Amino acid sequence: MLASKVARRHHNGVLDMVFEPRRGFTRMPHVFQQPPLKASRELYEGNDPTATVYVMESSGGMVAGDRNDISIRLLPGSKARIIQQSALKVYKSHTGETCVQSIDVEVAEKARLDWMPEVIIPFADSKFQMETTIRLEKSATFLWGEIIAPGREMRGEVFDFSSLKSMMKIYVEGELLAFDSLHFVPENLHLNGLGLLEEALYVGSIWLVSEKADEIDLRAIQEAMKVGDGLRAGITRLSGNAVHCRFLGVNQWRLQQEMKRVFSELAALI
Amino acid sequence: MKQLNADSNNLSNTAAIPTDIQFLRLLQIHDSAFPIGTYTQSYGMETYIQEDAIRTKDELIAFCSTFLHQNLVYGDAILIQEAHKAAENRDPNRLLHLENLCGAIKLAKESRDASVNLGRQFIRTISPLVEDAFFDEWKNRINANEIKGHYAILYGIYCAVNDIDAHYSVLSYLFSSVNGLVQNAVRAVPFGQNAGVQAMHQLAEEVVVAAGIVAGLTEVDISNNALGVELASMKHEYLFSRLFIS
Repeated sequence: MLASKVARRHHNGVLDMVFEPRRGFTRMPHVFQQPPLKASRELYEGNDPTATVYVMESSGGMVAGDRNDISIRLLPGSKARIIQQSALKVYKSHTGETCVQSIDVEVAEKARLDWMPEVIIPFADSKFQMETTIRLEKSATFLWGEIIAPGREMRGEVFDFSSLKSMMKIYVEGELLAFDSLHFVPENLHLNGLGLLEEALYVGSIWLVSEKADEIDLRAIQEAMKVGDGLRAGITRLSGNAVHCRFLGVNQWRLQQEMKRVFSELAALI
Repeated sequence: MKQLNADSNNLSNTAAIPTDIQFLRLLQIHDSAFPIGTYTQSYGMETYIQEDAIRTKDELIAFCSTFLHQNLVYGDAILIQEAHKAAENRDPNRLLHLENLCGAIKLAKESRDASVNLGRQFIRTISPLVEDAFFDEWKNRINANEIKGHYAILYGIYCAVNDIDAHYSVLSYLFSSVNGLVQNAVRAVPFGQNAGVQAMHQLAEEVVVAAGIVAGLTEVDISNNALGVELASMKHEYLFSRLFIS
């Protein structure tokens, strides 16, 4: 009883990464990291100039009031792929405080960022808010994926979190192109209602911005999607050179497999 | 029901009751025959109908209730309220911000296009009837393609320049949006006229509650939890045979 009242110091993970092209490869010459956030060094696949960087969270998860601030800046002509090492776990908010994850991304002309889809797992009684702001120049390329879980489903923890707020804003040349804002408070909201999530437990999103977006045949992608059996998916064109894809699924593995397939397909087209 | 009456009385105390002519103006622009094309939009409902997910009156009410509480309340209704305030303050920069936001929150292409199509039809229809310099200036910017012309924003401006209170503007907008969906479902499912009338009678009470919620919300509350509706709107584009544009 007493132990739970002892004030715990909040973690404030900080990760600032800057990418730029140097001698034919994209390098990460500037990186600032404050635990529990950490970035790997740049990795390369053969002669591909794209820098792959793993983002790690050494604490194992966010606890009441913790913050993660990530900023990613791609200078003109650079190419980076960012992979989260594991799912992001948000623990029970024993103090009532909200965990906040803020991600700011800037992609300059002719630069490209791929952020691979990982899962966010809000545990029972957790409070989580994530704010992702993307600012792109006109000729920038951007591909982003993320998945929200209902909790630790295998333990029977389904929408037992207190609140989850997710805001995604995409600006191209200063103009707001897309604003996706979810605010789930399961206590006040029957998420399984008609028109809400219905039978789905997992929400997946893919965002794409590219000068080649106009050439993508969305109908072909929609019709090739392996839906049914608890998985629904849709693809649509946002204003400007952007595409959005949403997945609602009952089964995590199935949703993730299909999302990864669509993600790779889109990655190859842009 | 008692709670509901208490709530609505409460709001009537703070909101300026429309004058007779304002009341009639609202009735006219929300008439289902008002030529802005409401009857051509289903906002994804047609996908549900084709998937056989709306077969009963209760399912129709459930769908409309989600659309009302999770989409309209936290989207268009907040924007109408904010646009109303901005137009009262004669603040075109704020309106421009709201206009962009209105397009950005509508991720499904067809729903976004519907918002602009309704807006453009609306301004075309009412502009000969409105005499207001601020309104004209906004109209000119739409005609010059400087502004897209989303319906919710234009409607908020229209109500503000006609001195129609924000609460009644939102209340009647929510009612007519839901009523439009019910009418379209009656034709598309199809339902008998009585089922439609009964569904709307029940939903009207929810509209009152919804408008009460909107009064306490601002721009920071904008969200869209109706992911099923949104996904259906995205998929609608690829249906083979369609009665509706969205």
